[in-house]
This record gives sequence, C-alpha cells and structure tokens, in this order.
Amino acid sequence: MSWAAHQFEVYAVQAHLPKKMIGKVSFWAIFLGDFTPDFLSKFWVYGVTIKGKHYGADVPHQWHRGFPGMGFTHTLFFGVVVTGVIWLWKHNRAFTVGFLLGYAAHVLTDINDSVGVMLLFPYTINWTSQTWAYAATIDGGRYFDAAAYYSSLGLVMDLFWLVVVLLSWRVLTREHWRTRVVPADARIWASLGRYLPERGLLALYRSIIFYGVCRMISWSAWAHLLARPIIDGVERFGYPFDLSWTGPYWIGARSLAHVSPWLAYPMALLLLGGVYLAAAILWDRMGRAQEATRSRSGTHAVPSTHDSA
Amino acid sequence: MNGAIDANSSAPPDTDFRGSKRLTGAAEWFWYIVAAVSYISLGMWHKWLLDWIIGPMWLVTVVCIGPAVVDRARTRFSRRGP
Repeated sequence: MSWAAHQFEVYAVQAHLPKKMIGKVSFWAIFLGDFTPDFLSKFWVYGVTIKGKHYGADVPHQWHRGFPGMGFTHTLFFGVVVTGVIWLWKHNRAFTVGFLLGYAAHVLTDINDSVGVMLLFPYTINWTSQTWAYAATIDGGRYFDAAAYYSSLGLVMDLFWLVVVLLSWRVLTREHWRTRVVPADARIWASLGRYLPERGLLALYRSIIFYGVCRMISWSAWAHLLARPIIDGVERFGYPFDLSWTGPYWIGARSLAHVSPWLAYPMALLLLGGVYLAAAILWDRMGRAQEATRSRSGTHAVPSTHDSA
Repeated sequence: MNGAIDANSSAPPDTDFRGSKRLTGAAEWFWYIVAAVSYISLGMWHKWLLDWIIGPMWLVTVVCIGPAVVDRARTRFSRRGP
C-alpha cells in the first residue's frame, strides 16, 4: 500500500487537470475519491485489539486487495460505479469528475506494492509491479507496515509524488486556491467560511499535503532513528533500508495471484489515459445535462466566474 | 460570504472577509513551520496523532489560533506600556 503518496496525488491531480477543467473540478471530490478505497477497506486490515483479543481480517492482504474480500474497493470498476451513482444523485459535474479522478489515482498508485490491485475487476487477478513489499500483517500492525514501507522503494514513491507536487508549486498558492479551487467548490468553502477565517480556509486546503509530509517524516524518523527491531536475531538501531525491488529483504512480501509484473505499468498508464480521455469526452455533455437538470428544477449553482462550460 | 474569499474581494489586503488577520510571507511560513515541527516531533513519539483527521486539524488550529494568541498578547503588553 502507499502512504503519503495518496495525500500528495490529490494535489498532483489538481495541478494536472485537462485545460478545459481547470478551476471547475472539485478539490474535495478529488480528495474524497482518493480517500474512499482505503476508507472502505483499511479499518479491518490492521483491526483492533481489545483486552488481548484481536478483531480484524484473518488474512489482511486478501481482505484489503483480494476477492473474496474488499479488494473490489480498489478497482476502477467500483470507482466508476460509485461515480455513476454520484452523478445520478447530484448531477454535479465538478464533483463527479473530481471523484473519478481521485479514485483512479488511488487505485493506480496501489499497483506498486507486492499485492497490487484487481485492475480489470470483475476479472479477479491482481496487477502488481511488485516495487515494494506489502507488509500489513496481524502481528506487525501499522508499525511494522510503516517501518517496511519507509525502508523500501515506498519512501521513494512518496518522495516522487511530493516532487511532482512541488514542481507544480503554484497549486499550493493562495492565488491558485482563490481563483481555481474556491470557485469549483463555492458552496463548501462558503459554509466553512462561517467558522474559519481566510487563513484557516487556506490552511485547510493545504492541510492534506501538510499531513502527508508530516506523517512521512514522522514515520521515517521513528523507523530509522527510534525503533529497535530484532532482525535475524540481532537488535538493530532502526530498521535497515533496502531500496531493492520488492524490498525490504527483512519481511516476507505478501502476494496474491497476479499477472506478470512487467504488464502492470503499461496497463496502469493505459487505464489512466482512458480515465482522462473519458472524463474529457464526457465533460461537455455532463455540463449540458447539469444545466438542463438545474433549469428543470429551477435551481442554479452559486454564481461563479468559472462555472460556465 | 463567497464574494469575500473571491479574487475580487474588496477587503483590505491585511484582513479577510471576517476582519481577521491575513497571513503572508514570513509570518505565514513561521506558523506553518511551527505546526509541522510540533506535529512531527509529537507524532514520532505518539503515533495515534498521525491520523488523517488530527493531522489536518492540527495545521488549521495552529494557523487560526497561533496568530490570534500572539496578537492578543501583544495588545495586552502594549496597553501596560513601559
């Protein structure tokens, strides 16, 4: 699984929208779409221990990414279904497209660990590049998972996404927030503005990347400076780094039945292109349908300079 | 209210639509760094803080409350005078 990468990719998506969607796609929908797969499945991966009894998945990686299990939550198929339901419910183009892009970003990023995702669900075989080891286990819990992730190419993946966002640093500026983010989510920001000053609203917009950077540093520092693991019978000062493929060497990488890892990236890129193409093609049609729905119901969006298709 | 956080807002540059202080430049960096250093430091020792609700709320709380507390303290000291 990926850690802070999922926080960074929200801004990466926001920064790399097709030209005609700039300033018109909901930031909160991108966030919600990116957040939903793990929200639906991850609580039971680590589980909880109450009075010495563990409640959680018997086989965490099967539950998280497999089928049977909740692996369907990490598929484009399910993302498209939920997106369709959102569209039918709200007829809100900004939110629908944002949710789809966020969901796709999460699913496609998760091909990198050794378990991967069922990219072509309902076809239930997993697609994985096996870049780093999936390490969520019943015994190790969140701590061991974090230690393995931040000792492997997972850390590089987090840094890669952070660099992608920093190269698009304007997406974090007040100007971008005021002119591109607020208009697309005018009602939400207006509601939040009843309780928070502008500096708080801007901090809220930036808070996802703040959380990503901080958790990446905190967990990395803990794993490599504070932890005292015993590996191969030897107590270590910090978990050892291993930036080899499917590392780190000191855990057994979990896996499910999967296609050749060489196929994972080409398929992921193909699907990413397909999602963006579909969104771009449907964008104008959805705009017309949204206007028609609002005309029929006599409601209109909060006036915004960026609201016209 | 939306107009107040709109790019065309007529509010003075140093205050927002609520009359609250805007953070810019070095002051803004200062409060973000305070939030990050405190959160990272505490998060290393208390992992339960590294949570997707607490993390974002930490930043928002520091950025909202920090400058207000400092301004109030400054006002109080300046009233007492030398």
